[in-house]
Amino acid sequence: MSILEVCQWLQDTQIGTAIRESVWWFPLIEGTHVLALALSVGTLIVIDLRLTGFIMKDRRVSEVSRQLLPWSMTGFLIMFATGALLFWCQAVKAYGSIYFKLKILGLLLAGINALIFEFRTRRTIALWDADAIPPLRARIAGFTGMILWAGVIAAGRTMAYNF
Amino acid sequence: MTHIYLPAAFSLHPFFQWCDSTAVGEAIRDSRVIFPIVESIHLLALTVLLGSILVLNLRLLGSGLRSQQVESVAKSLAPLTFWSLLTMLVSGALLFCSEALKCYENPPFWAKMEMLAAAIVFQYTFVRYAARSARAKRPQHILAACGSLALWFGVAAAGRAIGFY
Repeated sequence: MSILEVCQWLQDTQIGTAIRESVWWFPLIEGTHVLALALSVGTLIVIDLRLTGFIMKDRRVSEVSRQLLPWSMTGFLIMFATGALLFWCQAVKAYGSIYFKLKILGLLLAGINALIFEFRTRRTIALWDADAIPPLRARIAGFTGMILWAGVIAAGRTMAYNF
Repeated sequence: MTHIYLPAAFSLHPFFQWCDSTAVGEAIRDSRVIFPIVESIHLLALTVLLGSILVLNLRLLGSGLRSQQVESVAKSLAPLTFWSLLTMLVSGALLFCSEALKCYENPPFWAKMEMLAAAIVFQYTFVRYAARSARAKRPQHILAACGSLALWFGVAAAGRAIGFY
């Protein structure tokens, strides 16, 4: 079975069809997906702005991220759940959209950026945790994250114009 | 549709008509790319605006950034809130001009504008007082946070609903 056929099968399932044809479910899921941007990317940006040395410079990086990251992660959980449902009900259109592919690429790169930060850059955090402006490596991770998320949001929004 | 709070003599329809006929509105309508670009900017600013408001409200509720004083969190986030709000108002005005007459017939649009006016006033009066005054105590913090969350997320939800209506 090709990927396209899988997409076709997926959106023809009972749940996929039900969401697509519903009066309320689709707008509710879509609306939640948009509003959860505040919790996911919105709180992550505050952490990234600390990491790049723009705000809360007198507080430790770890102090800011430790307290906000659980909220970001809750937000991303909501994003992935609602996003999966949205894909479920219109998989074929999404598969055919260049913006959807760009969005997935952006998500993958943002994930890789986060993993590199978590497992490499963060290991030395004790040395620069209290710095008003963290070292270049950490700042690059913060900037890259913000740019990638902006790209993901723009691609996600643009997708809908071609549906 | 006549707006519910205004008698017919004070109709805003001519104003909407004028916005719709401006060169800016026409240029955005005629272009296939400008609207999606402005809309993306509007959405990016929304992320920053709601994000900064959410973090302050979490602090007011006592469940995020508790190691910092409410006032210091409010001061750190104020520029983010202000500049993202300004970006939203400008990009929003551009989007509006391109479809002002459509908005006039759109109930979620009116709901959004009313909640937006209330949200801005509430944010820069009561929330500001609750977050920055030493006299404000826990009840004011909770009231400010709940009111601000309800208003701003209401604005966002109504904004999304404009496109669904």
